[in-house]
Amino acid sequence: MECVVQGIIETQHVEALEILLQGLCGVHKQSLRIHELCLKSVPNLGLVASEIRLLCDLEQPEPTWTVRHVGGPMRGTGAEQISVLVRPMIESKISKNALRMFYALGYKLDHEQLRVGFAFHFQRGAQITVTVSSINKMLKLHATDEAVPVTPGIQLVEVTAPASSENYTEVVAAVSSFCEYLAPLLHLSKPGVSTGVVPTAAAAAASLMSDGGGTKM
Amino acid sequence: MPIKWVLHWQPNAGTTVNTQILTEVSQCVESINGVKEGRWKATLSFYKPMLRVEQANALEFPRDFLGISLQEQPNKYYFVIRGQRLILEAESSIQTIMEKLQSYKTRVALNFEGFQYQLGDFQLRVGKVVPIHSESLRGIVMEMEYLPISSWEKSHQIMGEFFDIWQEALAKRSLPGHFVHIEPILSEFGLSDQYTSQHTAVQYASIMAQMIATAQSAQAVRN
Repeated sequence: MECVVQGIIETQHVEALEILLQGLCGVHKQSLRIHELCLKSVPNLGLVASEIRLLCDLEQPEPTWTVRHVGGPMRGTGAEQISVLVRPMIESKISKNALRMFYALGYKLDHEQLRVGFAFHFQRGAQITVTVSSINKMLKLHATDEAVPVTPGIQLVEVTAPASSENYTEVVAAVSSFCEYLAPLLHLSKPGVSTGVVPTAAAAAASLMSDGGGTKM
Repeated sequence: MPIKWVLHWQPNAGTTVNTQILTEVSQCVESINGVKEGRWKATLSFYKPMLRVEQANALEFPRDFLGISLQEQPNKYYFVIRGQRLILEAESSIQTIMEKLQSYKTRVALNFEGFQYQLGDFQLRVGKVVPIHSESLRGIVMEMEYLPISSWEKSHQIMGEFFDIWQEALAKRSLPGHFVHIEPILSEFGLSDQYTSQHTAVQYASIMAQMIATAQSAQAVRN
């Protein structure tokens, strides 16, 4: 399982967000360059239509592959009342011919994208990962070198944390409370619930930039 | 990692495997001073596609899709599609992912299990092939591992020589069959000369195909 929230931020404020995150997390950012391929089963295969994601980490000297399966979000009144999406998620590292295998099994490429940005991994009540990235599309199949932004000037911010059925309420609380610190710059919500950019972003960014990220909580 | 050959028992025409043969093979390893060390096990699953309309387009999907778990790599899982010369290594969690996808299910799963023996620089593993949740013997397998060498090419001579010695020792018992070594063309699977567990998985897929072919032809003769 994982807990996840998303938000967007204007590229001009990303530097301020980075300073804020650096101050909050106390760790260094890691560069992010991930080629993401979404595959779907052909019509007759499987009792239900299925979807799988292959992630190729291009930041590594030798690209590494991961296969990820994301299930439907947790439902019910309890789930609706919390501001964080909880959903099943399983990953497995896999050898580089994964795409060939899934093609052989009857999966077809639905879409692909390239995420470029940075990530912070840290422990704060839960093992939290914050990624800030621009989503790029490829004009030609798999041509990651010629990718262009899908939404120029806007970047995606995602906060995720692994959880289990035993501890997800604590993880949700940890993610929610962390998100509050980012509130002046961006609003984070469940994926699919778009809340846009926040009006205070410019002022908050200017303040962060001027005091050089020295802000302590 | 050390190189190994995976062998399977080929019964003589008109005969089948039985536990007596397995017992004799194990005794033979001990008679050439093999020292029993402990248990060993591998598991192999055949998958079949789950189709919404059966037979509609079944031929589009691979019929030889296998999943293999090996004791030497307990946190890994291997997929082989022999017809397409595909070998894939993943973390064991891939099995849960496959279950969630509900696009393939296990048609039959087999255990390969038995004992491991140490014999100088060689490690021998002799075991039975049985369906999970059943004791009906489907075959006999043997792993022949040579610890000092990890190059497939360089080990060829010594492995061949040891295999001959082993065959000679076994021949004295006049059993109704013999062990066969089939050598898959590993480079076709994109595997290099340096031995890995992916080589082992491909060998298991190969002996499995051979055992099925033997069983099918025996059945054809009976019919």
